[in-house]
Amino acid sequence: MQRRLAELSNLQFSLLLALPVLVFLLLVVAYPLGYALWMSLHQIVFFGGYRASFVGLDNFLEVLASDDFWWSAWVTLRFTVQSVVLAMAIGLCLALTLNRPMRLAGLVRTIVILPWCVSLYGTGVMFSYLAKGQTGLGTAIAYAFGADEAVNLVNRDWVIEVLAVGNAWNMAPLVAFFLLANMKTIPSRLYDLAAIDRMSRFETFRHVTLPPLRFTLFVFTCITTVLSMKLFDFIFVLSGGGPGTTSATLTYQIYKESFKDLDLGYGAAMSFFLLAMILASTLILYFTWGRREAHRA
Amino acid sequence: MRRGVLVTASALALGILASNAQAQMELEATTDQPIYFRGWQYKTDIVQDNVNRYNKEMAGHIDYATVTGDYPAIMEQNLMAGAELDVLYANPSQAGRYFDGGWIMPAEQLGNIDEIKADMYPNILDAWTYKDQLLGLSYFVSTRGVMHVNLKMYDELGYTDADFPKNWDELYAQVYEIRDKGVEQPLLPHWLNEWYGISWAFVFEVMNRGGTLADPETHEPMLTTDENGQAYKTLAAWKGLWNDGMVPEEVLTYNESSYIDAYASGRYVFSPQQLYDLETFNRPDRSQIAGHASLLPYQGQSWGLLDSAMYLMTSREREDPVTEDVKRFTNWYGYKDQDGKVYVGNRWMQESMLFSGYKSVMESPEAAERMKSALARPEDVKAVLEVYANTPYPKGVWSVVWAEEFNSWLKETLQNFLLEDGDIVETIEAINEQIASLNEKYGI
Amino acid sequence: MTTLWSRLALLVVLLWTLLPIYWFLKISLLTPDEIARFPPPLYPLEPTPAAFLNIFGFDYTLADGTVRRGSGQAVQILRGLGNSLIVSFVVTIVTLVVVVPLAYVFARLEFRHKNTLLFAILLAVALPPVSTLIPFYAMYIQLGLAGTLSGLILVTLTITIPFVTWMLIGYFRNLPPIERLARIDGYSRFETFLYIVAPLGRSGIAVAAVIAFLFAWNEYTYALVLVNGTSANTLPTAISGFLFQHPEPSHLAASLALSILPPALVAFFLQRHIAEMNLVDPVR
Repeated sequence: MQRRLAELSNLQFSLLLALPVLVFLLLVVAYPLGYALWMSLHQIVFFGGYRASFVGLDNFLEVLASDDFWWSAWVTLRFTVQSVVLAMAIGLCLALTLNRPMRLAGLVRTIVILPWCVSLYGTGVMFSYLAKGQTGLGTAIAYAFGADEAVNLVNRDWVIEVLAVGNAWNMAPLVAFFLLANMKTIPSRLYDLAAIDRMSRFETFRHVTLPPLRFTLFVFTCITTVLSMKLFDFIFVLSGGGPGTTSATLTYQIYKESFKDLDLGYGAAMSFFLLAMILASTLILYFTWGRREAHRA
Repeated sequence: MRRGVLVTASALALGILASNAQAQMELEATTDQPIYFRGWQYKTDIVQDNVNRYNKEMAGHIDYATVTGDYPAIMEQNLMAGAELDVLYANPSQAGRYFDGGWIMPAEQLGNIDEIKADMYPNILDAWTYKDQLLGLSYFVSTRGVMHVNLKMYDELGYTDADFPKNWDELYAQVYEIRDKGVEQPLLPHWLNEWYGISWAFVFEVMNRGGTLADPETHEPMLTTDENGQAYKTLAAWKGLWNDGMVPEEVLTYNESSYIDAYASGRYVFSPQQLYDLETFNRPDRSQIAGHASLLPYQGQSWGLLDSAMYLMTSREREDPVTEDVKRFTNWYGYKDQDGKVYVGNRWMQESMLFSGYKSVMESPEAAERMKSALARPEDVKAVLEVYANTPYPKGVWSVVWAEEFNSWLKETLQNFLLEDGDIVETIEAINEQIASLNEKYGI
Repeated sequence: MTTLWSRLALLVVLLWTLLPIYWFLKISLLTPDEIARFPPPLYPLEPTPAAFLNIFGFDYTLADGTVRRGSGQAVQILRGLGNSLIVSFVVTIVTLVVVVPLAYVFARLEFRHKNTLLFAILLAVALPPVSTLIPFYAMYIQLGLAGTLSGLILVTLTITIPFVTWMLIGYFRNLPPIERLARIDGYSRFETFLYIVAPLGRSGIAVAAVIAFLFAWNEYTYALVLVNGTSANTLPTAISGFLFQHPEPSHLAASLALSILPPALVAFFLQRHIAEMNLVDPVR
């Protein structure tokens, strides 16, 4: 009894643990955001003397009026949706496969996590090598079967799909491992009960394995969405936004505006739109899916 | 008499010693503050070796490191932020931009600038001079866009040296001829996805044909939409090649490494490449066509354009003695060392057949020997020098503050022209409009 | 029948995972002229370890007498390896110490302003590096942190902390609700956390450590601008120069192979913890 009175309230306890981190986060989130906001409200020119002139919302309006922006937004959306669907599906399959007892389980699990150990830069190099006609797997196999034409997938029709597959290849182990960690906490009793009830494998999956995973699946859908929308190095290395502007996602567009054309105000304004897109996707996912899961838990 | 000779001789000797000593003193570091030298990733072990020599023999404190990735963009960030950077590489168009940003100290400020200028080839000196100031010292000069020819395939197809195309029109005609003989994709065009890729390909083809994109002095747009105009013929040829499927689509995503490997595989008959890569393609451990990589000679029409890089000094805040050290190091590294030889320049020639802007390097017997050993055939040496001597430089679109911006806009426009099957006249007009609007934006 | 399917599934998984890696890394065993061969070779016909020796600075003489020179990047690669190891380990430890209690608190306790704070974390995760690069760079130059390992560690923490927090929250939520039982037994909140929840959540924490390490190890975008060309250079940026101007694809492949090893080892040692957690009845 006495002990309880002396304890901190929930809020105080959490704050105690969380405070230093939150201060740190505040600094590293608030400062760049503030700076970016300042830049987006000005037109910044470096040549002929540095000048930063206040232009209000002009940069934002210019972004909305730009065809490049809408095209990049569409590319980003397409790329993200494909990446997320693939990553989640493959991650789930990987987790299910790893959940079985097997020999050399440690080695197998380490192999499965290898794509995540390869940096996104490395993934970009690997998949560009794999998919281009000059050096790709498709060409090697085609020639082995007697064809005489290179098989190139880094073209206008397929480059976004190639990017999505590469991205999913890289992210799936992350998803898989968290799902696996969750699966391991499912009491084996439940599987025994399902066996007694003569449930088919699919029903077992649906009613025993899947429910505890739902929340994690939601969280990771959000995570993979955010990661895909933020992605830069992978796309830069694999296709450089090309061919042409086919795979120019918003991050690539922002890089071009800010770093190559040095139009810092305009680039900053565009990044706010990207930020809005990321937050909106997460919130939409939360309100349509996550909330139900949160209530269920 | 003898005494007189002795006196004169010793006076001369003393004089020579003194001037050598003076030369040595003028290049030796005076302070022990570090000088920051940042280069891109090219034969960095050689650069490090050179730097080590300076540090040892000239009491220098040069801090050299390699910057990977998008070198120009990163350097620009560094310059803007006033980071620790004293000496860097730059292409002339970037150098002009940095100068306009107020970030660099032109080479004009060096004591021996007149001697340096006298040793430079006039067209190169002209390319590197911006607003009447020589911006930097010679790192390398090359012709990018020299038309390489794969003699292995060329001979197999039944052609000889006498059939070498003299200009772009003849080249395209021959490319179609070769296609009819069964080679689907004879030409690997310079349409790669680097900043020096497809946009440069357009610029040099137009120049080779005798045209120019913008006036060298006023920077006014100069392309015409006349069907016999250089820009029109270039774009028409490109459109024809692309629509006939004679160019692999993946070229548009290539970086330098893929581009070189693709030609080194021996699949293509022609490709515009870097001049010094003739050496690369003739090395057996590097290419499948070693011993067969040659070039189209100068037969009235130039090929490619002048690709070059300089050593620049930054104008960041420093104490005067430190700035003096920067000047001395740059002088030593970018021109003559304490023995009066262009040490670094000659070394690049020996190592990689990188040409220099200085006559004293190019016209030396060692240079001639080196070229002979790198090329496939002895007659190629003459071909190389002639092509080099006739290489044009696009002053109109490069010696101007908007050069980089225009370059990246042009890259995208040309890519879209091919991918979307754009209209030739409209594209040419758009190029002219863009140049005009950039002039307006920067008040030129 | 079941075993056949599971064997097949395993095979597909291994193929899917290893094929892209194999396809590129095979060129680390070839010389550049073989790499340029068309059509691309399915497997290395004449493998040589030249590239691996080159990236450490050693020359290698091939069978036919040509010498593959040691790479000029060797010093940078070694330095990058060392720096990456330091940064990754420090970031992992700091992240775990900071994030595990934080995630627990967010997952299990209710308090005012919880949603606001959650949103702040979400915002931190959502910031694209491309947009925050310039502000960070400017700030670092001012503070003298550009080109230092501590600066890079700080920046990497801004990525790992929000991210791992977010992931761990989901994981902790799923743990069985044993706090009530612990409280009945008289444990304070802190003791509950330390003695009951933490061991239970070991597998999630192990995964989080792996994630933090990998994020730190593979961090490229910030490193490119903040430490490139300085003595604090890390491995990813040191490697990325191999495709530029004087391309050496075999060296790139060999360095990539090298860069995969430390994270693979970390993953190997930590993944055991997931298997050992075979929860039958958490109440015990």
